[in-house]
Amino acid sequence: MNYRKFLLPLLMLVLTACGGESSSESAEIGISSTRPLIVASNYPLYFFAREIAGDSAEVVFPEMEGDPANWKPGSEDIALLQSADLVILNGAGYESWLNWVSLPSGILLDTSVGMGDRLIPMEEEVVHQHGPQGEHSHQGVAFTTWLDATLAMVQASAIEQAISGLVPVNREVHQERLAGLKARLAELDEELQAAFRAISNQPLIFSHPVYQYLAARYGLNGTSVHWEPGEDPGVRAWIDFRQTLQRHPAKLMIWEDEPGEQITAQLTQLEMLTVTFHTASNTPADGDYFDVMKVNLENLSLP
Amino acid sequence: MSGALFLGWRYLVFHKLKTIILVASITLMLFLPAATRVLVNDSAAALTSRADLTPLVVGASGSPLELVLSSLYFHAEQPPELLFASFEELRTTGWADVIPMNTRFHSRGSPIVGTSLDYFLFRGLELSQGRMMGMLGECVIGANVAAREDVGVGDSLVSSPETVFDIAGVYPLKMGIAGVLKPNGSADDDAIFVDYKTTWVIQGLGHGHQDLAKPAAASGVLNRKDGMVTANASVVQYAEISAENVAEFHFHGATGDFPINSVIVVPPDEKSAALLRGRYQDNEQGMQMIVPSSVLNDLLDTVFTVQNYVILGLAILSLATIAVISLVFLLSQQLRKGEFHTLSRIGASKAYIATLVASEIGFVFIGSLVLAAGLTLVVRQYALQILQSFLSL
Repeated sequence: MNYRKFLLPLLMLVLTACGGESSSESAEIGISSTRPLIVASNYPLYFFAREIAGDSAEVVFPEMEGDPANWKPGSEDIALLQSADLVILNGAGYESWLNWVSLPSGILLDTSVGMGDRLIPMEEEVVHQHGPQGEHSHQGVAFTTWLDATLAMVQASAIEQAISGLVPVNREVHQERLAGLKARLAELDEELQAAFRAISNQPLIFSHPVYQYLAARYGLNGTSVHWEPGEDPGVRAWIDFRQTLQRHPAKLMIWEDEPGEQITAQLTQLEMLTVTFHTASNTPADGDYFDVMKVNLENLSLP
Repeated sequence: MSGALFLGWRYLVFHKLKTIILVASITLMLFLPAATRVLVNDSAAALTSRADLTPLVVGASGSPLELVLSSLYFHAEQPPELLFASFEELRTTGWADVIPMNTRFHSRGSPIVGTSLDYFLFRGLELSQGRMMGMLGECVIGANVAAREDVGVGDSLVSSPETVFDIAGVYPLKMGIAGVLKPNGSADDDAIFVDYKTTWVIQGLGHGHQDLAKPAAASGVLNRKDGMVTANASVVQYAEISAENVAEFHFHGATGDFPINSVIVVPPDEKSAALLRGRYQDNEQGMQMIVPSSVLNDLLDTVFTVQNYVILGLAILSLATIAVISLVFLLSQQLRKGEFHTLSRIGASKAYIATLVASEIGFVFIGSLVLAAGLTLVVRQYALQILQSFLSL
């Protein structure tokens, strides 16, 4: 089950066969392979865990396309998750794959457990009915908790406790690193408050229902549609959108990613501006979590 | 002297029926108390060894014995159900490692044990082939199940419906075999292990069907209004979980309200165990926390008391048997007076004749002793199977 049990002897065998490696190099490999393996379910959690753990643990974020909320782990991913010493979950229903993947419950860390009543129920739900069970829905709570920097701190604290539980000898180092991370998150929180202050009571439209915690923390008056940045939503969606604008006269639309030119042109006709606010849920092309947030802040300053 | 032994042996061989009856009577007289003792002691040892390795079990209020037999030996009788929320609540205390157990379902007589991967680590179970279950619908089977059903990795087993006439009840689910366990001489050898969520699918609490928001399911959609989609029966529901459709499986309602049978609780130290036991001392939520070894010791005390009465009864019967056998030998001596007189006249001494009679008695007793010992060894060999057959009644 734990492939790392076999990895160390295999590496030692290869090193012995090569014959040239020094004993210090072998020792280094020995130390690194005995580090606890931590797997995170999205990029922010991976970033927080890596920042806190430093060299204490091997932190991994599996490669996944698109939004990690829609991740469907394959057999290799499942093997990786099962071999982990800790699997860091966002919680709040984010990891739908937990419904069908078998994992030891002892390695799971739900970082949203400590949030209590700060979790926000989803505004919309799709109810469907078929068969003898009657109506049912797949409703849940909103899950992009890390967009509220104060909730991100709660998650980081939970991660620190779990990592310190795995490597108690480094607890003080982890706590120092957590304090540094929290200070940066607090600074980000202030910057976001300042950036959103100008538009805090203006009607806004969100391209996807993923900004609930951002809106709640920074006092945004937004309503969500289900539009993809690179995909024309279609005539029906545009009609619904115009109706929405009549009751919610927004002049700004916040997107997860840069919208297509056609969409931008149509929005311009409606005298609307667009701003991209990346959720940072997946590994950024450049930089880290704070770099993505810095870009978001710069985008907010443009309109 | 060897001539007396030879004559004694030939006498017994000649009077076959009499010898067989005597040997059978004495064998039974020796075997029954010995077998009773061996069976009870070995069964007690097997039961308590598994119970001793299981520190605590939490279940709904009811019979503690049913809870232990269900959680440890996957006994057919089921204790009252426990909400999964109780498991989550225990898990979040952080005072112990917790393992959910749901043993309600069967497949061709073998119990389906819904649990988490922690169970295999806890019991020290190892694979002889394949891998651990990775997703919903996969199973890992015990060595006896693999041998009995002649199945292995890549084959599948189907869960049994609870009642034939309950069409809307428990659905048969085809479970792919991901791995086979090494034999370990316990109830695990006869079990089919699945993720506890798979038992919820078997129960009908979760299912997989076409995504009603996708065009492929459009023909099955009757109505879409105000965020509600109504579909007809033509919407494809999956009867088998595969890597392709597993992501379409979902559960209706909060999983905290879903049932399990019990939770195995493994506290790291005595302090945590005491804290946990205190928490369930006067539980008003209808739950109980038990120490399996204590429950089984209570049961075994009763069994040992009954065993003592049985052995006492057998001892009295043995006395009667010895009396009857003594009578048979005495009467036999009377009937063989002429034979002994002839032996005396052809030169046999009294000692020779006494040796002849003693050898006959000796052969009968030695034969009976060997037979009784052999039968007792057989019982010892199959004690666990006999115990398990009683438990699965």
